[in-house]
Amino acid sequence: MKNPLNKRLLRELKSEFGKYAVIFLLLTGTIGFVSGFLVADGSMIIAYDESFEKYHIEDGNFCTQKELNRAGRKMTEELGITLYDNYYVEEELTNGSTMRIFKNRGEVNLACLMEGEFPDAKGEIAIDRMYAENNHLSVGDTLTNGTDSWTITGLVALPDYSCLFSDNNDSMFDAVKFGVSVVNEEEFESMGKNKITYSYSWKYHQPPKDEYEENDMAEELMEKLAKEVTLTDFVPCYKNQAIQFTGEDMGSDKAMMEVLLYIIIVIMAFVFGVTISNTIVKEANVIGTLRASGYTRSELICHYMMTPLAVTLLGALCGNLLGYTVFKDVCAGMYYGSYSLPTFETVWNAEAFIKTTIVPMILMFCINYLILWQKLKLSPLKFLRRDLSSKKQRQALPLNMHIPFFMRFRIRVILQNISNYVVLFIGFLFANLLLMFGLILPSILNHYQEEIENNLLSKYQYMLQIPMDSLNSDSKLESFIRMMIFYAGVETDNEDAEKFSAYSLQTMDQKIPSEAITFYGLEEDSRYVKLDLNTDGVFISSGYAQKYELKPGDIITLKEKYENKEYSFMVDGIYDYEGTLSVFMEREKLNETFGLDENYFAGYFSETEITDIDKEYIASVIDLDDLTKISRQLNVSMGSMMNLVNAFAIGMYMILIYLLSKIIIEKNAQSISMTKILGYTNGEISRLYIVSTTMVVIVCLLISLPVEEQIMHALFKEMIVMMITGWIPYYVDPVIFVKIFVAGLVTYVVVAMLEYGKIRKVPMDAALKNVE
Amino acid sequence: MFLEIKQIRKSFGQGENRVEVLKGIDLEVEKGEFCVLLGSSGSGKSTLLNIIGGIDTADAGDICIRGEKMADMNEKRLTMYRRKHLGYIFQMYNLIPNLTVRENVEVGAYLGERPLDVDELLRTLGLYEHRNKRPNQLSGGQQQRTAIGRALVKNPDILLMDEPTGALDYNTSKEILKLIEMVNQKYGNTIIMVTHNDAIKDMADRVVKLRDGMIRKNYKNEQKIPAADLEW
Repeated sequence: MKNPLNKRLLRELKSEFGKYAVIFLLLTGTIGFVSGFLVADGSMIIAYDESFEKYHIEDGNFCTQKELNRAGRKMTEELGITLYDNYYVEEELTNGSTMRIFKNRGEVNLACLMEGEFPDAKGEIAIDRMYAENNHLSVGDTLTNGTDSWTITGLVALPDYSCLFSDNNDSMFDAVKFGVSVVNEEEFESMGKNKITYSYSWKYHQPPKDEYEENDMAEELMEKLAKEVTLTDFVPCYKNQAIQFTGEDMGSDKAMMEVLLYIIIVIMAFVFGVTISNTIVKEANVIGTLRASGYTRSELICHYMMTPLAVTLLGALCGNLLGYTVFKDVCAGMYYGSYSLPTFETVWNAEAFIKTTIVPMILMFCINYLILWQKLKLSPLKFLRRDLSSKKQRQALPLNMHIPFFMRFRIRVILQNISNYVVLFIGFLFANLLLMFGLILPSILNHYQEEIENNLLSKYQYMLQIPMDSLNSDSKLESFIRMMIFYAGVETDNEDAEKFSAYSLQTMDQKIPSEAITFYGLEEDSRYVKLDLNTDGVFISSGYAQKYELKPGDIITLKEKYENKEYSFMVDGIYDYEGTLSVFMEREKLNETFGLDENYFAGYFSETEITDIDKEYIASVIDLDDLTKISRQLNVSMGSMMNLVNAFAIGMYMILIYLLSKIIIEKNAQSISMTKILGYTNGEISRLYIVSTTMVVIVCLLISLPVEEQIMHALFKEMIVMMITGWIPYYVDPVIFVKIFVAGLVTYVVVAMLEYGKIRKVPMDAALKNVE
Repeated sequence: MFLEIKQIRKSFGQGENRVEVLKGIDLEVEKGEFCVLLGSSGSGKSTLLNIIGGIDTADAGDICIRGEKMADMNEKRLTMYRRKHLGYIFQMYNLIPNLTVRENVEVGAYLGERPLDVDELLRTLGLYEHRNKRPNQLSGGQQQRTAIGRALVKNPDILLMDEPTGALDYNTSKEILKLIEMVNQKYGNTIIMVTHNDAIKDMADRVVKLRDGMIRKNYKNEQKIPAADLEW
């Protein structure tokens, strides 16, 4: 015989339709979104992983100042690698962006055509899909640099630029102001040799077994190449952010989504737990009778667990259905909005099913089982007597009689519902965190931009193109001559100009991925960086200090990028410069430390534009645009997601407050009914019950804000440390706290108004019916 | 002997607040006997019933049903013992509000190894035409009959009743007592009923009067009268 108690399930769902519907919708939405995300993520990761073989992705690339000669090529062949020319030309377009143009590839890093056609005539170009989207370009449009123009014939994804990093040392990719494209051979040849960057991709004949071997092989290649040619760049595949960042980021997003799902499931499980606890109180006599009649505790636990499990299962199934249909495309769109990925096919993802269906069911089962096991362990007699406290009855908390009666009553209501309020607080904390996350990012990025703007070392920072081989001690005479010519060409009459030397070393932190630290060698009385550099140690930028938690007196140890040579410096002080990871020291000292010529300098700081230096000696001009690349890209790739997060957080707010207020009203139905019988008006009753919850809501909101701020600070730091090279300082605009508080309060007021309607409907006989 | 109660003692509270509710109760009830426990409020009759029903424990003494000692049972075995041998009826009906009359009775049938036919029982209890109603659509008497049906349907050896007519008016109480009498005769279950209604003793086979935790009177009623003739 089937357990007749099961017949209650549908009726229970029907009678509490509103409550279960919102829980179901929240679960379906969350599971759907996470399932869609995992399916899209899984399918894309497969597509991304397969792209290495499918599109014949390089094992690394390097750039040389001059075209590689036959001896150089022969040397690389002897090392067991095949070289592929992957020359490119960079054009500054009239839309303010830089386009890196390659000859369409035939052997390595094959382009994936997403739309249109590959260029097959002169004047035609196929550009990166994401760059096109960010710059509102489509097939048929024209690109121009002012003198030449190209008609876009297709949109492509280049597998060696799944993430649009123009330079591997960049803190963040820039899919707005940097794009890649391919043209046919004829068009490429017509661009002129003087513009070409000699870039070479390589593939190992015998792929390395692991990253260590890959590292050794790459270092051997670099060392040998450095003896033959002047290397301007050398990036093995495993260190290439343009290739690797996408795969790594997809993995980290996945973990974040899963955590989000499980937190929501746990909160929902507690909401169910509170609901069940109240049902148990309400049905104590029935439970006592059933237990006295011989129903086992396990049978009752199963019975009361069926509703939450059924709702979760239904939510999970519908969520998965939505995940595979609607949300998968939404989430794939989010990736396509950030990365230049090739096309993908949806792949059935057993892991996604387990994580979005089985794990939530297990979580729901365990939490509810524990709550029920705890609640139902009382003896049948206790249930029959409605004595449901497992602890010895404590005496009522004495309250000062000078407190007005209404306030004392409210305090009693609060004390009676304390467990519900704890769940409410946790719910608030989580919903607020989500809301804060949605609101904080634009504020952080704006603040970052302002900080950069206000703390620019100088309006213009000219980096000079120093002949690399002049530093090579093997050819001293040639180096000397080159340096003399160079120094003569880079002198300026601009009075604002101030020389600085620069050097770059890599961090060696175990936990944080290695990144470049820029060393500035400054004039003794620098006008641009006001520091007393007459010390033994160095000064570091505040961004560097914050990211690596450094303080004066600490020792920093860094290494050469392409060598194992290490340097240690003592931190003498911190310079307020948040946007970059930099070290400041005297120019003379820098040159000496790194074995550079004593007159060496890398560029100029200047408040005005320098016009009297030959452009061929200027490698780059660092201005605000360059320094705010991170914030721009984060705004583009995460902006739309933030709106989604905010909407979700508000929804979560409303659902939690609605559910918990409803539960509190239900729990107090008997007392409400009794106060009605005594002659209290609905308004007075609302003041007693709703005002108590309002007080708690306000206190919860106020307490939760600093707690959330601390959590958010820690989470943000972790996120920035793991996600980007460089540093974005954490900043919360105080207005955000006000917004969160107001959002919470307004949401609560809406729910309280609904609850007021419910209080009016509580029948007077509710008190009499339940009293034994 | 079907039910043997030996030297049952029970007290509540500690130290100065300690109250001895049962002070060494000895009682024997035969199979099929209708036993009434009488006594004023606080005499210990409900506590004794709860101990017999295994939902409360005695501080000392033994209870044996068909030779099975309850003191030796752990919680799981006690539950199985109640499931197998006992049916409970309380003053409040404690029906499940969102189940119909028939389904409430089925809740009891589910527990029995050889349950009675539900529809036939509903006819016997005069509830057949109300079988699809919810408890809130029934009168107090009908609700108590449903509760009796729920306890009886699993055909237990013993029916334990705690003030089953306590919440009912005179006529309805009489109807319920007639029903209990009929059940006792038809199904042969042993019935132990707690009541403070002195008149009910006249329809019982055995009358046990308690006062201050002790049995003051325990006798076999030789002049039983039908429930229909009871007056109070």
